[in-house]
Order: sequence, then C-alpha cells, then structure tokens
Amino acid sequence: MTSSSAVAAAKPSRSRPSPARFFWWVVFILGVLYFFLPLLATLLFALRSQPFLSAFTDTLTASDFWSALGYSFVIGIITIVISVVLILPTAFWVRLRVPRARPFVEFITLLPFVIPPVVIVFGLLQMYANKPISLTTAPFGSDLLLIGAYVVLSLPYMYRSIDAGLRTLDILTLTEAAQSMGAGWGRILVQIILPNLRVSLLSGAFLTLAIVVGEYTIASFLARPAFGPFIALIGRNEAYRPAAVAIISFGLTWLAMGVIAVVGRGSRTRIRITGAH
Amino acid sequence: MTAPAQMLVQGAPKARPARRRNLNVLGLAPFVIFAALFLLIPVVFLVVGSLQDAQGNPTLANYGDLSQDFIIDAYVTSIRVSLVTAIAGGLFGFLLAYAVILGGLPSFLRPALMTFSGVASNFAGVPLALAFIFTLGHVGLVTKFLLDSFGIDMYGSGFNLYSEVGIEATYMYFQFPLMVLIMAPAIDGLRQDWREASANLGATPAEYWRHIALPILTPTLLGTMILLFGNSFGAQATAYELAPQVNLVTLVISAQMSGDVLHNVGLGYSLAVGMIAIMAVAIFFYTLLQRRSERWLR
Amino acid sequence: MPLVALLASACGSGTPAVSLVPVTGFTPDATLLAAAQKEGTLNVIALPPDWCNYGPMITAFTGATGLKVNSITPDAGSGDELTAITSNKTNAGPQAPDVVDVGYSFGAQAVQQGLLQAYKVSTWSTIDPKTVDPNGMWYGDYYGVLSFAVNTSVVKDVPADWSDLLKPEYAHQIALAGDPTASNQAIQSVEASALGNGGTLDNAQKGLDFFKQLQQAGNFVPTVGGQGTLASGETPILITWNYLAQSYADALKGNPAVQVVIPKTGRFGGIYVQGISAYAPHPNAAKLWEEYLYSDAGQIGWLTGYCYTTRFADLVSRNAIPAALKAKLPDDTGVVFPSADQLTASKTLITGNWKSEVGVSVATAKP
Repeated sequence: MTSSSAVAAAKPSRSRPSPARFFWWVVFILGVLYFFLPLLATLLFALRSQPFLSAFTDTLTASDFWSALGYSFVIGIITIVISVVLILPTAFWVRLRVPRARPFVEFITLLPFVIPPVVIVFGLLQMYANKPISLTTAPFGSDLLLIGAYVVLSLPYMYRSIDAGLRTLDILTLTEAAQSMGAGWGRILVQIILPNLRVSLLSGAFLTLAIVVGEYTIASFLARPAFGPFIALIGRNEAYRPAAVAIISFGLTWLAMGVIAVVGRGSRTRIRITGAH
Repeated sequence: MTAPAQMLVQGAPKARPARRRNLNVLGLAPFVIFAALFLLIPVVFLVVGSLQDAQGNPTLANYGDLSQDFIIDAYVTSIRVSLVTAIAGGLFGFLLAYAVILGGLPSFLRPALMTFSGVASNFAGVPLALAFIFTLGHVGLVTKFLLDSFGIDMYGSGFNLYSEVGIEATYMYFQFPLMVLIMAPAIDGLRQDWREASANLGATPAEYWRHIALPILTPTLLGTMILLFGNSFGAQATAYELAPQVNLVTLVISAQMSGDVLHNVGLGYSLAVGMIAIMAVAIFFYTLLQRRSERWLR
Repeated sequence: MPLVALLASACGSGTPAVSLVPVTGFTPDATLLAAAQKEGTLNVIALPPDWCNYGPMITAFTGATGLKVNSITPDAGSGDELTAITSNKTNAGPQAPDVVDVGYSFGAQAVQQGLLQAYKVSTWSTIDPKTVDPNGMWYGDYYGVLSFAVNTSVVKDVPADWSDLLKPEYAHQIALAGDPTASNQAIQSVEASALGNGGTLDNAQKGLDFFKQLQQAGNFVPTVGGQGTLASGETPILITWNYLAQSYADALKGNPAVQVVIPKTGRFGGIYVQGISAYAPHPNAAKLWEEYLYSDAGQIGWLTGYCYTTRFADLVSRNAIPAALKAKLPDDTGVVFPSADQLTASKTLITGNWKSEVGVSVATAKP
C-alpha cells in the first residue's frame, strides 16, 4: 500500500479501488488551488509594501485593528451562545413533536438570506431607536440590537446544521429512553442530545463567528466599532495595509476556529443507541 | 408520520393528545418571538414601506415600477447568477466535503477543510473582490502566469472578471465552503458500514450511489442548494466592489436605499418584497421535493 | 490656547502622518466651549480619515477641546448622511449625526427636507459668498478638482487631458472611483468628462458619450478603483478628486510612483458643504466643530490635505498659508463649478442612462 496506510489506520474500511481515491484527490487539489490562489495573490500584494513587511507591522501595531477585531470576536461568541440556546431546543422540538411546523420554521430561518441587511437594520432602528423604547442612546443598547440582528443572520446556518445533525440521530428513541429513566427536558437536551451534535454545533458556531466578523452593513448603520466597517473603510482608501489585514484576519479567524475545534473534541462519551459505529 | 403512528410512539403516560398538541406548539414560542422582534417586524416595515410613496401616502406605484425593463432584467440576472452558483457551488462543495470525509484522504484534512470553510464562507465584500482582482484581473497573478508561462491570453479569449461570469467565479468562494460545512454532518450520517455492506452484496460503487447514498443525501443536498441560492441572491457588497455594472437586484436596491443618488426608498422596499416572494417560491419547491424524498427514509 | 497635536500613523489611519497640524489660530469662545464640553461628544458622519486630512483634524480637535468625536460610517455617501439625520430624528444615540459634510446639491435638498439648523460661524464674512446659503443653513467648506491618479511604473506616457484617455495605449487601464449610478464622485467624473469632450455643464450627455467611447475602445475597467487597484496596476489610471489622488501618492511614497494630473481642459470643481443637523443631539459641540473648521487652524488642516477651502482668498491675503503648503496645492486655473441645478440635472441623466448606454453585458464586452 502507498502512503494511504495512515488512512487505512484511521478508517476501518477495506482499501478503496485506486481510481476512486485518485478522483477524490483531484477534487481536493482543485479545491485547494481555488481557495489558496486568491489568498496568495493578496499576500504577494501585501508583501510589496515598503519597507518590507511594513503593511503587516502597521496592521499589528494599529490599535484600530485590534479593537475592531476584538469587539467583533466578543460579539460573535455571545451571538453563538444565544443562537444555540434558541435554536437547539426549537429544532429538537420541531423534529420531535411538531413536524408540521417545519416548513414554517424553515421559511423563517431562510428569510435572513433574502432580506437585505440594509432593510433589517432600517427596520430595527425605526423600531428600537425612537420613543418609546430608546435602545440606541446607550452603546450597550446598540450592542444588544447588533447581537439580536446577528442571531437572526445566523439562523439559517445554525438551524440547518443542527437539523441535519438531528436527522442522523434517532431522537425519538433517545428521548424515550431518557424519559423512562426519569430525565426532564433540560437534561435530555444538555446531556444527551447536545454531546451527539458536536459536529453540527461546531459547524454552526464556525459559520456564525465568520458571519459576525465579516458583517458590514448592520454594524455600520448601528455605528458599532466592528471589524466589517473597519475592513471596508481601509480597503477603499489604502493599498497594502488592507491586503495585510485580510490575510491576518483570515489567519486569526482560522486559528480561532482551529482552537474551537480542538477544544470541542475533548473526551466525552458518545451515546449511540442505534447500533454500530 | 401518520397520526396513529404518532400516537403509538407518544405512548408515554402524560396529557391527552389534544392538549398535548397545543402545548407542543408553545414550545416554539421563544423562537417565534425572537424572530418576530428581530426579523418579522422589520419585514413588516418593509412591506408597509413598499406601499407608501416618499411622503407616506399609500400607493401601488412602487410595484408598478417593478415592471420596468431594467428591473426585470435585474431579477433575471440575479436568479441566473444564483442558480449557477447554487448548482455548481453545491455540486463541487459536496464533492469536496465527501472527499475529505469518506474519500480516503488523510484524516487531518477534514478538520483543516472544515475550519477553513468556516472562515471562507464569510470572506466577502471588499477584501474578496480585491483578492480576485489581484488573482484574475488584467494584471492578476493567474492571468500573468498563464500568459508568461503558457502563452494563454485569458482576456484575449473572452474571459472578463468584471462580468457576470466573474461575479459567479468570485461568489464560489463563499458558496463552496457553505456547502461543505452544512453537508458534513449529513455525510457523516452516511455510515461507512453501508458502503461496505453494499459492496458485500455485490453492488458497484455506482449502484451504491444511486440506491443508497444519493437518496439519503438528496434532501440535505437540495435544501442546502436552496440555501446557496438565497445566499447568492442576497449578496451585494462583493458585486458592488467588483463589477457594479452587472445588473443585480441587490445593487439596484442599494442604489435606492443609500449612496448619493436621489433615491426612491419605496422602490427599494418593493424590490426587496419581490426578492422575498422569489425565495418563498424556491422554498415551496424545496418543501415539495423534501417531502417526496423523505418518504424514502421512513 | 495653542496646542500642537502630533499625529502618528499608529493612531490608526495607516497613511503617513501629514506632519503636524497646529491648532494655533483656533480660539474658541469660552461660553461655547463650556457648553460643548458639557455635552461631551460630537457625532460626525462620512469622514474618512484620509479625506482632506480629516483624521488628523479630528485628533487635533479632540486635543484642543477635550470632546470625544464619534465617527459614524466613514464610508457613507452624501445621500446616506441625510438619511442618517432623517432616520434618527428622535434618536439621541451615537447613530445620529450632529454635523454633515455633503455634496453641493445636497445642501438645498437638506433644507427642503428640514434637516438643518442655521448657524453662522465667527469667520462667516470671510467665506466665499458664492458658496454659502445666505440664511446660514449650509456653507461651502472645501473643493477639489477631478484629476487622474497615474501609476507611473505601469503607465509610461502620462495622459494630460481627457481626450488622451482614448488612446489605445491605455487599454484596460482607466477606472472610476465608484459606481456612476450610486457614487457622487463617479457621477461627477462622468460630468467632468463632458467638459473635455466638447460638452458643457448643462449637458452631461457628452460625458456619457465619452465613457461609451472609452468602453468600446477597451480602455475602461468597469470596477470600483481605489488606492489598492491603483498600486497593483489593475487600474493604473484612476479618475478621482485631486486631494484623494495626492493623498494616495503620499501614502504610497513612491511604491509605486504616482503622478497626479489635472486635465488641461475640463477642470471640474466639486464643492462640499457643511451643515448642522436640525436634530443634532449635541448642538453646541456641533457649533464648536464648525468654529474649528472655519478657524485658520481648521482651514490649514484642510489645505494640508490638498483641499482648497472657501476661506482660501482670505487666508492668502493675510499671508496665513505657509509657502511650502501652498506650493503643494494643484494648479486649478480655469476650474468651473456647476450650480446645484446643473448637478441635479446631470445626476438624473447619468444615473438614469449609464446602464443602458455604457453598461456592460457579457456578450458585448470587449475584454
């Protein structure tokens, strides 16, 4: 066997016919080319700054970069938590008890795709920025609006990820088994369903974080010091620094996701009632 | 699930079925309230705004305006771009996900691709447009490489980044990863043993795909493609930076709602309502298809 | 009190500091200063730090007065600024602008919509009267001339005029700095090209014709050009305001070398105007800001950013401009300023017909 012996050790399958594996390698390499060439081009452009690497050092020493990125990261984490707390029970409930509501719920989760963020933020400002509820006078209130809007933007991804994950579980049997042992809904969700959805939750979390860090329109209209407006501003008005910022923020976000992935992979017993794996 | 079957399954000794159904719907309350507060009410403003003119008087003129040639062209172009990026993005994204999960590649590639996809799926707007200009522009990295090393003149042969095709190529940067991320859990559910079992029973790979893998994956595949469609349909910032000439609905909306032009906000609203209507149709078809394929799984 | 604010790029603008912006020449009235300091904050909108030196000027203002400046949507256009006032009429939060800096034709529009409040700064009498509203609702602040920012490492033979742009040697090198159906700067670029194509300010059609020719010659790159695409060589000839072009040239510091060309014929001036929002959450801070802008200190600030100001004549007559600074300002003899009506008419014509006359479709685009 070739270097795929590592693969054989990881996957308990008999060896695949090589044409198939070759095909998948081609697919993968095409993907890598497509994704990395634009990043490479951006990097090479950033490297043209004089003195050498000044675009990168300027970025890393500029306080506006860190404050914007830090702000968006924090907002992102909060958004993920609220989103999971809202969606996991809902998706679970729809699957388990109210399957008829599914098209309705899905329609709602797909709405954020089609309503331009400009409209969402106009609507939010009209509702919440004026009397009687004046949320925006304090920055904290505007932050709340921002988080609320971002939870909405994360709906399609979170819901779909969690739903796809739930689809692979036999939640009916799991729930009944747990209930027959006296578990309440809380315990069922947190201790039984949640651990089995690690892949889904992680992928939903990845997406939400990336959305929050990259989002521009809503943050700018709510006048929040987020990363999206920062990147758009310098992208139009500067040359090398935006390229460096794009590379650095891409790298940092990727790193953060790697950390989430590693942490999320911590040892936890998986409960599978329905047979082999 | 049929009603009798549902009752059989729900056999736990609790409330009577009728009351249980009411309570069940209440379980969706937090979600619905949240959606109402942050999504539905702004949409209501949207619809109300579309029925008003600049002074706030009721009118249907904004919808009448939708029949203008360039607006119909905008919708057609947007739908076309979104279909292309949804289908092509969906197919290749699916293949990519399958490659790292079940394709026999080294296992560390999977988390690498997943985490990368998380970032790339939201790499959009000014940085993405610039990245593609640096790559495929007139003096882009790839353009110059092909010209200098192989004598291939991309632009001479008709390629143009600043066009509908260029926008589609650029949109793939967030479409592929989206597909990868959302298909991953579903591909996970496609158990390894089924592949082996079917091989044991003498099925060829093609038959495995046709009779086992695809039917199981199709609901999620189609559903995610609809997601990709919507994602592309609503995208704006990238197209604005890269090729604002291309006539897309989101660009027409943003021209009405913001910028320096004497704008017609009511038209912007009616355009957005039009977009929602189109998405509603798409979701309707998706639901039909999904019901049909899910029957297979029962 | 004379203060000198040192502006390092570490403050985050990313462009090299336009050396020192002195705050000598700004002596705020004590009552106004006290009232403004009680309000504590100023909300400004649509002021990119590299635009006419606003970044350093804001820092200098904060240093001199102690007021915090909240910069809303620096990237916004003039229309967005008015919309921000309208949608935040009863909102005293950080999204509501106190002052606006909008294109010339937007002044009258804002008055019509009741969005401004009158205020005449202490130096009012020295402002060029042609650029102000007699009632003090809005007042011209600075202007620029449309120019070509040319990346001379790519473009060896620098174009001198609008008609030069049609030469075949500039194939796919020329871009606008925005979308002509949405961006003020791009629309006025089209208008300006009419002047260089035998047209007048009353008829922007010649401008549309010019760009159609440019497009058919294959010289036009239909994207939004900026400092990045200028430097990378993708859009080595960028049509933009002289102050932006000059600030790009400064920022790039010769990497690559950028030459700023004011076209020989067809010199088009774009004036911007200041105004205080009728719904300003911090009206005294707003007034203080205007006092700063129209003080000698503020004027020098703008001039340092290569923007001609509306008090220029007065400053020159008092010898208040350092010779070195004056030498950097571009030659704008013969510059013409469209009236508000001309601007509006051209805008309607250009935004309405751009897509149909010049718009690119995949089938017919010349690569």
